Amino acid sequence: MTDLPELDRTFEAVVVDWDATRGAVSKAELARLRDRLEELCAAGVPVFVLADGRLPDLRRDVGFHPAGPGRLFLCCEQGSADFEVIEDDVVAVSTREPRAEESSALDRAAERVADALADLGFDATVEETGRTARRVVASPRRADGPSDRSVEGSGTDPAPTLPATLGEPGLRALARQQAELAGLVGPQVTVGVDDIQLALTTKSDAAQFASDWLAERGITGELVLVVGRASSWPPLARAIVLPPGGRAGRSKIGSPSGLVGLAATLQAQLDRRAERRVPQVDPDPAWTFGLVEDGPHQRSAEALGSLCNGQVGVRGSREEGGPGTAPLFLAAGVYDHDEHLLPGPIWTEVDLVPAPGPSTGHRLLDLRTGVLVRVDEQTGLRSLRFVSIASPRLMAFRLEVPSSMLQPGNPVRSPSQAIDFTRRFSGDVCIAVSRDSARNIAVAARDQMGEVAGRSSLERLAAWDTSTAGKTSQLESKRLLREGEAAGFEALLAEHRRAWADRWADAEVNIEGTGAAADQLQVRLAVFHLLSAIGETAEAAVGARGMTGAAYAGHVFWDADIFVLPALAALRPEAARAMLEYRIRRLPAARATAEASGRSGARFPWESAGDGYDVTPRLVDDGHGHQVPIATGPHEEHIVADVAWAATHYTTWSSDRTFLARAGRALIVETARYWASRVQADAGGRYHIFEVMGPDEYHEVVDDNAYTNVMARWNLREGARLLRSERPDDREATHWVELADRLVDGWDRDRNLYEQFTGFFDLESLLVADIAPPPVAIDMLLGADRVARSQIIKQADVLMLHHLVPAEVAEGSLRPCLDFYEPRTAHGSSLSPAISASLLARAGRPDEALELFRVAARIDADDLTGTTAGGLHLATMGGVWQALAFGFLGLRADSEALRIDPCLPDAWSLLSMRMRFRGTRLRVEASHDRVSIDCDSPIAVRVGSRAVEHCEPPSRTFSLPGGLEHEGRRR
Amino acid sequence: MTAPTTATEPVVLAAIGGTSMAPLVLETAAKLGELIGATVEAVHVDEGPADTTGTLAATFGVSVRRLRGPVASTLLAATESPNVLVAVIGGHGPASDDGPVGPTARHILEHTTRPALVVPPDVRLPTVIRRCLVPLEGTEPSSRPVLQALGRLLRNEVELVVLHVFTDETLPRMLDRPYQDMELLGQEFLITHCPPAGAIEMRRGPVASRVVEVSEEREADLIVLSWSQVGEEGRARVVRDVLGASDRPVLLLPVTDGGADR
Repeated sequence: MTDLPELDRTFEAVVVDWDATRGAVSKAELARLRDRLEELCAAGVPVFVLADGRLPDLRRDVGFHPAGPGRLFLCCEQGSADFEVIEDDVVAVSTREPRAEESSALDRAAERVADALADLGFDATVEETGRTARRVVASPRRADGPSDRSVEGSGTDPAPTLPATLGEPGLRALARQQAELAGLVGPQVTVGVDDIQLALTTKSDAAQFASDWLAERGITGELVLVVGRASSWPPLARAIVLPPGGRAGRSKIGSPSGLVGLAATLQAQLDRRAERRVPQVDPDPAWTFGLVEDGPHQRSAEALGSLCNGQVGVRGSREEGGPGTAPLFLAAGVYDHDEHLLPGPIWTEVDLVPAPGPSTGHRLLDLRTGVLVRVDEQTGLRSLRFVSIASPRLMAFRLEVPSSMLQPGNPVRSPSQAIDFTRRFSGDVCIAVSRDSARNIAVAARDQMGEVAGRSSLERLAAWDTSTAGKTSQLESKRLLREGEAAGFEALLAEHRRAWADRWADAEVNIEGTGAAADQLQVRLAVFHLLSAIGETAEAAVGARGMTGAAYAGHVFWDADIFVLPALAALRPEAARAMLEYRIRRLPAARATAEASGRSGARFPWESAGDGYDVTPRLVDDGHGHQVPIATGPHEEHIVADVAWAATHYTTWSSDRTFLARAGRALIVETARYWASRVQADAGGRYHIFEVMGPDEYHEVVDDNAYTNVMARWNLREGARLLRSERPDDREATHWVELADRLVDGWDRDRNLYEQFTGFFDLESLLVADIAPPPVAIDMLLGADRVARSQIIKQADVLMLHHLVPAEVAEGSLRPCLDFYEPRTAHGSSLSPAISASLLARAGRPDEALELFRVAARIDADDLTGTTAGGLHLATMGGVWQALAFGFLGLRADSEALRIDPCLPDAWSLLSMRMRFRGTRLRVEASHDRVSIDCDSPIAVRVGSRAVEHCEPPSRTFSLPGGLEHEGRRR
Repeated sequence: MTAPTTATEPVVLAAIGGTSMAPLVLETAAKLGELIGATVEAVHVDEGPADTTGTLAATFGVSVRRLRGPVASTLLAATESPNVLVAVIGGHGPASDDGPVGPTARHILEHTTRPALVVPPDVRLPTVIRRCLVPLEGTEPSSRPVLQALGRLLRNEVELVVLHVFTDETLPRMLDRPYQDMELLGQEFLITHCPPAGAIEMRRGPVASRVVEVSEEREADLIVLSWSQVGEEGRARVVRDVLGASDRPVLLLPVTDGGADR
């Protein structure tokens, strides 16, 4: 039986239908089965035993106490009571108590069924078989006297069975009819040879309990082995089902013909663990992302398959390396003397001969549990790796190949870049260090190798440290490795899976509708990488490509503050706080930069790394040997306000009410102070900001860029508000408000339209669609000079204001601004499509929004920029989340409530998102005419155009028969 | 005159006639022979007693083999000898009505299984071939044979400069930082399509024009193109245009698996 392909895998949990099993095996086999279950428990595998009977009966059969990390659950009484065996105790962990009216209705229903069976010629009695079940036992009534089912060999005709009367369907219909007449709605009806059982619960409820418990630990679908007949258990519908004696299959039940080899199957599971076989992932298409690895996509697949835990990240390079691969291990915020992320020692490589290459097999990134698996049927190679988020200093992988393939080699290797790299062995622990100036990354790793039946296995645990003193790093990494080895690979993987399940519990996104499965997977990929990229401790320097590639050198841009942080503020506020801490710790550099240019306050740099000073290159090669100046560093000053906006946004969404008054205060006040020193008055008393660059980088140095000016105005007002909250008559605050009120913003009252910068409306009026369908890098098509003379823009600029600070722009200006600027937007920036999608949805144009949303969601999967190999576009991923949350769901926080104003495209029937808002965990689900909110604490909401209402746990649904109102249209 | 080559010695085969191209073909073949470590052998289909090719070949230290028979098919057969690595033939530039090569050269180019180096009449020959321009369109099937052929041929040190010319259809749809992202694209292109190359140029516009421009800008000594050996009108336009416009020798790599059709 164990040679069945369905069973050639490592299961992470076993669920046994004891009733089905018990009837199919001998006592000796039953004892063997029980022993194997006990050993699996000891090996760390959770075991659920399900039976219809009562606990004492089941406890008598399954009498062991789990001795290891595995857990044993006994689920009894038709799924109404679940117990856990803990040492010598049996503890109730879940019971489903019927309400009094349900109990009496159940009793009445059973009596009515008994009466109906009596009419069919049976003597029927009612037994209470559990708190949620009644059994109506029927025996044929003999014509000459009382019934006696035990009469045998009397020479009379055999007594009729129940099914022989109306058939099973007929009896079920009869029972349901009687139950309904008794006021019992929808009972579970089971028809036996001599009984009919009515129940409020069934084993399916126990299966639900098991499924939920396991899902909370990242154990789902094909990671679960069900022993028994489970076809009626929807919660375990994707489990591998092994009927007693039948063939295994995915949720298939074979015909039970006695139990052969069931204990052997379980023994094989024990053997797999002892042999360090490579575990599986649940190949759920809704949660697994296949990496395409043909030639041109090989390196972008490496980026997409990156595994990060917020503190370190490793690219998804194939284990054997080779030409075209770019293995990379990075630590967040560890920069070299050039302010580039320092490549750490490579711990994922092995020597394979012959090297399998990318063209065979497949690799899956399991988004649900954060592991990367590889299966190559042709060579027999299998591998699994993870970077633990539960124990962030630890990483691990397992690999198995035919024995001849695996060659001995160093567990830790030098990164390909030319850096200072040392390696030594302490016993069989390999300790390697990448070093640059005062920074280093140490990795300690040890291989455990084995060989069974012509198959070599390798288990590698690794630990890292970035202490500034090299020797300390080495010792610490070795100590951490010992800790990891004490826990063991499987325990580390189990806690890693559970930690991922916890993260998704606050972040899951579901989309239903036409084409929604693909949309949902892309969104989950984005959320996965967002959840992976940012650590929660100390500070988080979030580079444009995170830790998924070397591009952009790990430099931090406005991408972090404006695109990534809003998603994290709702998904993992602690990580958003760490991102702000990165800015807070670089305030001294920002103050010094402002002072050096004769300004006050703090000027944050366009690109920053370790020390907080600007690292934007001043000159770059234009590809023709000419050095050209880069204007972003000197002129893209809007990042000053962007940082302040991020601090405010975090405060608005999180429960951290004191942040702006304390640690975050300077982010608002010092940036406002900068703008106060930056603006220039004209003769008419109006204020201007000259020589800046807005988000639209096609127009490099302009005056009074609307985005910069309005964000500066907002920043001045926020700063003044903060100062006045401390001292109402603060003179500096008064000055800031005056400046803000007199700062030009380019608003054309007649057209309700903002001019992007002074003179923009005088430029050549070109539309993108007349040249090429967007998105298009139109500066490559027309040349940068021609584009600069036109109204074609790279990305949302004015419209970013409607996205970030809608209260700062003129009421009703979204539609005219969208109508004017969207046809002029080339979306030549990866940041662009998601924001436009969000705004189109807000303007009541969700179907157009969906088109751009899909572009944004696939930027890395389809490598639309051609640079995904250098790392993933984290800001785009943040933008994708924002388009869903702020665009399609219409979430917007104000001081009173969370506004929810969904606007779904026709293709989608449902969108739901989990998140946190001011300390409340919530799930917002929207369809075209309804909003449901699940929450774990009371929350004030304003749904559509309704007034503020309170939503109490656990949930509330808002019906919106008239549709939802948007600025642009009423659906 | 040098000694005749042995049957196993790798050979650069210079196909010469009694035209003014012969010395250029011989000189180019000699430089290619130095580059790839092969002996140069000249072949000539004997056209009468006035033939002076032997004398000419001798001035380049090259042995000449005289053949008899129909010119095109005889020369083609000579290129198919097992020890021939590359055939070198003369082109006649854009002046002619029938394209950048004559009918004999065209017949050889379209049918030989060997790489063929076409020497333009105004060829700029360096002292040593040290830099090759390798235009690649960026698909695996077209890059692979180029890489394989270059791996076999280029044994001595030579700098490979890859050129990729974007068309409107192949331009990246987004460029966050135009200059830096193009550099990143170039690096990725090299790693994916031509790891041995040391540099890449990326351009947009008509491919052949860009090839000629960049070969001049980068002072390439040789241009390497793959082609499907279908020279009829409407096919291999890039090859024909480059042969017609460039003053660099052009090494044509025949691709038989549909990988390229420049």
